[in-house]
Amino acid sequence: MPVLEARNLTHVFADGTTALRDVSLKIGEGEFVILTGANGSGKTVFVRHLNGLLLPTQGVVTLDDVPITHNLVEVRRSIGLVFQDADSQIIGQTVAEDVAFGPENLRWPREAVQRVVKEALAVVGMEELSDRNPHTLSGGQKRRLTVAGVLAMKPGILIFDEPFTGLDYRGVVQILERLVRLHELGHTVVLVTHELEKALAHADRLVVFDRGRLAEDGEPTAVIEGVEKYGVRRPHKTGEELSALTWLR
Amino acid sequence: MAQVIFLRYMPGDTLLHKMDGRLKLFCLVVLSVAVGLATGWIHFLVLLGATVTALVWAKLPLGALLRDWRFFAVIGVVILVANAVFVPGEPLLPYFPLVEVSQEGLGVGLRFAGRLLLIVMVCSAVMGTTPISVLRDALEWCLRPVPFVPAARVAMMMNLTIVFVCVIMDNYAEMVYAQKSRCVESCRNPIKRMKFLALPLLTRTLQRTEEIVYAMESRCYSETRTQPIFTAHKADWGVAGACLGVLIFVSSG
Ligand SMILES: Nc1ncnc2c1ncn2[C@@H]1O[C@H](COP(=O)(O)OP(=O)(O)O)[C@@H](O)[C@H]1O
Ligand SMILES: [Mg+2]
Repeated sequence: MPVLEARNLTHVFADGTTALRDVSLKIGEGEFVILTGANGSGKTVFVRHLNGLLLPTQGVVTLDDVPITHNLVEVRRSIGLVFQDADSQIIGQTVAEDVAFGPENLRWPREAVQRVVKEALAVVGMEELSDRNPHTLSGGQKRRLTVAGVLAMKPGILIFDEPFTGLDYRGVVQILERLVRLHELGHTVVLVTHELEKALAHADRLVVFDRGRLAEDGEPTAVIEGVEKYGVRRPHKTGEELSALTWLR
Repeated sequence: MAQVIFLRYMPGDTLLHKMDGRLKLFCLVVLSVAVGLATGWIHFLVLLGATVTALVWAKLPLGALLRDWRFFAVIGVVILVANAVFVPGEPLLPYFPLVEVSQEGLGVGLRFAGRLLLIVMVCSAVMGTTPISVLRDALEWCLRPVPFVPAARVAMMMNLTIVFVCVIMDNYAEMVYAQKSRCVESCRNPIKRMKFLALPLLTRTLQRTEEIVYAMESRCYSETRTQPIFTAHKADWGVAGACLGVLIFVSSG
């Protein structure tokens, strides 16, 4: 059963740039999908449609067969989007305050807000930092903070837009661990990345974007064979080794 | 990277950090009014004493703050010189060459410069010890009974403005470094150098605005939010009382 579905999405920006051309994609409950593609292929624009931040020029996005525009607040609560640039997603002046931003917008009672903030910070391993100023955190901590900010709204679907960008080895592993753990706990995970060697092993599906079109969609080990023609590096592994590609031990 | 700390919250658990947001907002207003009313040097001395006490009490890094205040000190000096030269009155030195510096001008200038610096210090003390969300909630609490004022919107606007000032200052500092590393200092034309900074800063800020708006939307931004809980302790009232005392002293003569 598809939970989240994009049907024939086309997006033309005001300046005439066509960023998406007739993209259709179904994402089932509990799936782990990797979206890949070269820079500028439309990945970010696509995931912003899934969150209702951008509205399609043509086409529709549905959640359980209901167009997401019917209840955007509930859709945004249940589909957490972690942005590529952590700095612009951080609004609070302390870590705890930032994580509380979403739940407070949803008008959850004060005690509930405090509880989910604690839980979310525990998931990303940042309970000790709850009083810190986000500006003074390291890159990896900032990224984990944005993940906590999204988790606090208790979403079922999680979308990560290039979460490994700029992180060192430990930073990548810490994010990846959480991501895999959340998937095991039953979350649907959409991971946007062109660094396939870091996480391919965990994916059920690999989807390739190419200049605004959905070029490939299928079994990771099959799709990966042809990714280089879309400008994505194919890890130099074969068969068995391919399905074991991950930065987690 | 981020070295500008002016207006930035610095966590701590001093009395001032834990103080009720509404009373802190009250102190901010009271002290600002007092600074505006100050005339005699004794007023300035009392206000300076009060703010320095607050800054030390809150354990804020004075050295780093002093560095940030230099910028305002420059503005203060400009104001001082402009007033000293352009306000007419008794000449300070009877046969001073070239420009005539008046006593009145010097007095007016000193007061203006002193007020500017004091306001900056008061803001540093309040902002350094208060997360914006607390100030925002306090402001909303105060505005709520005022008819026709969208309290939540005004409060969120203030919140965003401060977030932005911090972001812009960060960007600015980064850009200055980046341009220095590309030898911008060998360009002698100040207007050109202003252009190198102002235009990219403006574009970055606009892009950043768009991103922040998206980020807020994706986290369900709404004006009706979870209500804050305020609790005022005895010590908080004490601090507020002290600020009021300063105001009464300054306005009484
Ligand atoms: N606000 C905008 N206005 C015009 N064009 C845009 C805008 N945002 C993105 N684009 C264009 O849309 C295309 C896809 O961008 P994006 O989804 O960000 O790529 P990526 O796959 O790297 O995330 C790019 O060609 C980009 O230039
Ligand atoms: Mg992108």
